[in-house]
Amino acid sequence: MAARVLTRAAVTLLIVLWTAFAAGPLLWVAMISLRSTGEFMRAPYALPEEWRFDKYATAWNSSGYDIYFANSLIVVLSSVAIVTVVGAMAAHCLARYRFPGNRVIYFLIFSTIVLPPQITIIALFQTLANLGLYDTRIGLILVYVAIQLPLTVYILEGFFARIPADLFDAARIDGYSEWATFWKVAFPVAMPAIATVVILNTILLWNEFLYAVVLIADDAKRTLPLGIQKFMGDQLEDYGMIATGLMIAIIPVVVIYAFFSEKLIQGMTAGAVK
Amino acid sequence: MSTTDVAAAAPVRASIPARLALPAERPAWAAIIPFLLPAAVFYVGLTAYPVVRTVWNSVHEVLPAGDIFVGTAHYAELWLDETFWRAVRNTLTWAIAAPLLEVGIALLLALALYAKVPGGRFLRVAWFTPVLMSYVVVGILWTWIYNYDWGAVNVLLRAVGLEDWANPWLGTTGTALPALILVTTWMWTGFNMVVLLAALHSLPSEVIEAAELDRCSWAAKLWHIVIPLVRPTLLNLLVLSCVGKMKIFDLVWIATKGGPLWSTETVSTYTYKRAFEWSTFDLGYPSAIATVWFVIVMAGVGLLTWTLRQRQRLEY
Repeated sequence: MAARVLTRAAVTLLIVLWTAFAAGPLLWVAMISLRSTGEFMRAPYALPEEWRFDKYATAWNSSGYDIYFANSLIVVLSSVAIVTVVGAMAAHCLARYRFPGNRVIYFLIFSTIVLPPQITIIALFQTLANLGLYDTRIGLILVYVAIQLPLTVYILEGFFARIPADLFDAARIDGYSEWATFWKVAFPVAMPAIATVVILNTILLWNEFLYAVVLIADDAKRTLPLGIQKFMGDQLEDYGMIATGLMIAIIPVVVIYAFFSEKLIQGMTAGAVK
Repeated sequence: MSTTDVAAAAPVRASIPARLALPAERPAWAAIIPFLLPAAVFYVGLTAYPVVRTVWNSVHEVLPAGDIFVGTAHYAELWLDETFWRAVRNTLTWAIAAPLLEVGIALLLALALYAKVPGGRFLRVAWFTPVLMSYVVVGILWTWIYNYDWGAVNVLLRAVGLEDWANPWLGTTGTALPALILVTTWMWTGFNMVVLLAALHSLPSEVIEAAELDRCSWAAKLWHIVIPLVRPTLLNLLVLSCVGKMKIFDLVWIATKGGPLWSTETVSTYTYKRAFEWSTFDLGYPSAIATVWFVIVMAGVGLLTWTLRQRQRLEY
């Protein structure tokens, strides 16, 4: 009995410690974001004496976060919209039609998921420079579509393949064209999977850094991760303000997670559980 | 959370026999081609072509003025480039250590939640939060946590009387890489836990209840019942985590830039430095790095999938 109580206590302790370890850093940075750097340096682990929400306005207006945020929004929303449509069309096609090379194409697209990014990034830099798309948001959007395409096709193909063929037969008998069948039958039926990839891609691209740092140079075109990096470089010691900037990047993701956690987890775990 | 890490969240699924489909007689090319074309344009233009161009680069001196063919010169130089091999060793260390840590701890945490500890829903959310942050945010946050003067790690060590252990964790050659591996473990364990928990919940509960009746010890239950049952999920997660760590860039770039003294240099950061930081202007050499690493990664992933599949075949 005593041993049982002891084990229980040990497990509880470990769970508490892990929880503090996992969630502590986010709480800490949230606290710093509401304190001035002076207050933070005096007591790094204290609660805010005064909740300085105005720091968010300052970061937003005078540190360029309004521009970075807008850029991130434009780039992420456009790429997600394009990759969803392009990916859904390809996935639908691969799931529904039988033709020679179907599985080869699927495998080619799918296997790019494991490609190390270096193998494309230098040449992407050259190619975009040749096309006059280096250091443009359009160039970054196109690249983002390409890098998220494999995962999108992978998740959607798995879902489209489970739509019963009878549904398509019925659509054909009703006189739907192939194109109308896709938009009016397959796409709406696949809405749960579409929502999953939209949320997943939004978060992944919102946080993307490597391609952005290579393909964007102009300050006015930086996305949030680049803006944060620049801000940190400029204001190395201004911890309070940096923390506010970090929170501006984190909050949208936390909000998405709060509303769509089940969808997001489904996306992230897609296929990992069989 | 980096794109690539989770992009890998799909397990390696090889050719699955074509299912389904309407009239099996003649492929409806008139419908197939328009559906596939946009994806094909993106794939060929921004994935396949860059891969080919990188390989082509790797046998050239690629300068703004034009390209000069140099044959295998870059590869010969690479063979003797100690920094590159250091980066390969660091990356592989990361790609082997991190998956074991992440998935191992995640399994224990998932079992705790599976056993219905109080507050399970809250714990699941709390443990999952780190993965929502970008590597840029995480990198800045953890350079603070590892700060010598006021970082949480050293503050805690001093608080429990271990002043001598206090250390600038990211500034010391011996501790920088383990410190960063701990950061990825912190970040990804919650994700692995959520996946494993889902796998546990999808098991038939009778099996685990039967083990309870047999009065197996806790460890025996874990080893003989639970692990074999969730083995496919465990393997998938290990592969995913491994692939993700082989791509790692952002975290290192923000936290240490590969330093001190190349102790955290990864293949990604070294390629980036050689391509865009060192003012050599030559894109050929970094392309050779990328090509060699591409071959190493593909061989590694291929070998891993093949071994796992062989073992599965043996067992069933």
